[in-house]
Amino acid sequence: MSNGWSLWVMFLVVLNMGITLFLFLWAPRAKIPILPDGTSGHVWAHGVLREGVHNLPLWWILFSAAMFVVGITYLVLYPGFGNHKGYLGWTSHGQLARETASNDARLDAAFQRFDKYSIEQLAGDREALAMGEVLFRDNCAACHGRDAHGNTLLGAPNLADNDWLYGGDGKAILTSILDGRHGAMPAWGPQFGDAGVANLANYVLSLSDAPHDATKAIAGKALFTVCAACHGPEGKGNPALGAPNLTDTIWLYGGDLESVETSIRDGRSGNMPTWRARLGENDARVIAAYVYSLSHGDPTDTK
Amino acid sequence: MAYRHFEFIEKHVWTLGILTAIMVSIGGLAEITPLFIEANKVQPAEGVKPYDPLRLAGRDVYVREGCYLCHSQMIRALRFETERYGHYSTASESVYDRPFQWGSKRTGPDLARVGGKYSDLWQRLHLMNPRQVVPQSNMPGYPWLSLALIDGKDIQKRMEVLRFLGDPYTDADIKAAPKAVAGKTEMDALVAYLQGLGIDNEPQKPAAAPAAPASDGGAP
Repeated sequence: MSNGWSLWVMFLVVLNMGITLFLFLWAPRAKIPILPDGTSGHVWAHGVLREGVHNLPLWWILFSAAMFVVGITYLVLYPGFGNHKGYLGWTSHGQLARETASNDARLDAAFQRFDKYSIEQLAGDREALAMGEVLFRDNCAACHGRDAHGNTLLGAPNLADNDWLYGGDGKAILTSILDGRHGAMPAWGPQFGDAGVANLANYVLSLSDAPHDATKAIAGKALFTVCAACHGPEGKGNPALGAPNLTDTIWLYGGDLESVETSIRDGRSGNMPTWRARLGENDARVIAAYVYSLSHGDPTDTK
Repeated sequence: MAYRHFEFIEKHVWTLGILTAIMVSIGGLAEITPLFIEANKVQPAEGVKPYDPLRLAGRDVYVREGCYLCHSQMIRALRFETERYGHYSTASESVYDRPFQWGSKRTGPDLARVGGKYSDLWQRLHLMNPRQVVPQSNMPGYPWLSLALIDGKDIQKRMEVLRFLGDPYTDADIKAAPKAVAGKTEMDALVAYLQGLGIDNEPQKPAAAPAAPASDGGAP
């Protein structure tokens, strides 16, 4: 605030305090003319109600005096009187920094202990799992669901099974969280045409023994050489690329013919955002541990 | 002053009303006027640029649909907010928001730094019908946004008005606007707007220092 505005605020504060203080000091001493009937002569309702004259109660006077003391003390200690910063030096940002620091210190002991463990070991630690679960619900559940069963509309994988797009060891999970993942299935519709897509989809379904049209599947087999580049010649996928295994019954975007055709024709673009800046490594590690624990029974049983 | 002056005030309702109004306005004059007059001195935070045409269109959709009624864009300097939403918001981050979208009520979460938290597809599915991705959500769906196209000429006009108000758009920016929004739906625009919230302008935390210094937390 510029000095001019600071003076403006000071002026208004002094004016307000001055007027109220004047009224407070003057009013009890004011000479009020009293009529013979003991009232001030002020009447309402044609004289039915008349205003008596009495001294202010002592509690009221003391309470008001206390208010002045509190108000002035506040303006001396805390910011409020123009640019005066207050003798306590309090700021809301300073308070935030103190509270954050004290909370960090509280968590520090736990995180220092967690640092000694691998993600897999951490998945057996009750304290880490409890923290991980809360963080998972706050940050991950929007896509993967509260139960971590994923969402086929989004292509958010089920995290509670044993099938992993990018590897399911602690390190791979942590990398997925910290740096995100981007799954890119190109659109093959323009190249293969509708018939090609249908044949290929039936072949893909045949890999997992799902209901399919056998003649179309045979016709589609030849086209699969293109897909093999990522999904492997047998369709078993490739965790280095995040290419899903097509021979199991787990489907990222749905395993019915229509969904598979859509995946082939229009492609898919799975996007796990990067969480490094948002969460930091400590939080990401306990989340990774929680996620790891989901597909490994209840590891706390053994500990 | 004597008693008769007060008797006069007490017995003349207009005098009483005007003097009451003066006393009541002192608080507002002290708290609001200085910040209001000095608001134009707030400089954009590093990385804060005027909205590109698509995001500008999205912002207007955000305002039109009343998103601010349930979502704030104002992370307060309180620990339980910064832990959940990120660094507290600063005035310098919303210099190009006319009007600002700070909001005053949260039925849904704060959106000041929601950009990049979810994928574009998530945002799209969520806007079409929130329960597709968050079964417990009570947010309404906005499926009609995917049917309405953005009018490039209209966006140009809005950019011109904003330039008149002081936003640094260049002639080239405005000229290129129709091309940038060609064929885009309101859904695309809103998603682009949401994905841009707070990404470029999040004040960076001090690098890898778990215990922040117990000083002022970086006053803006």
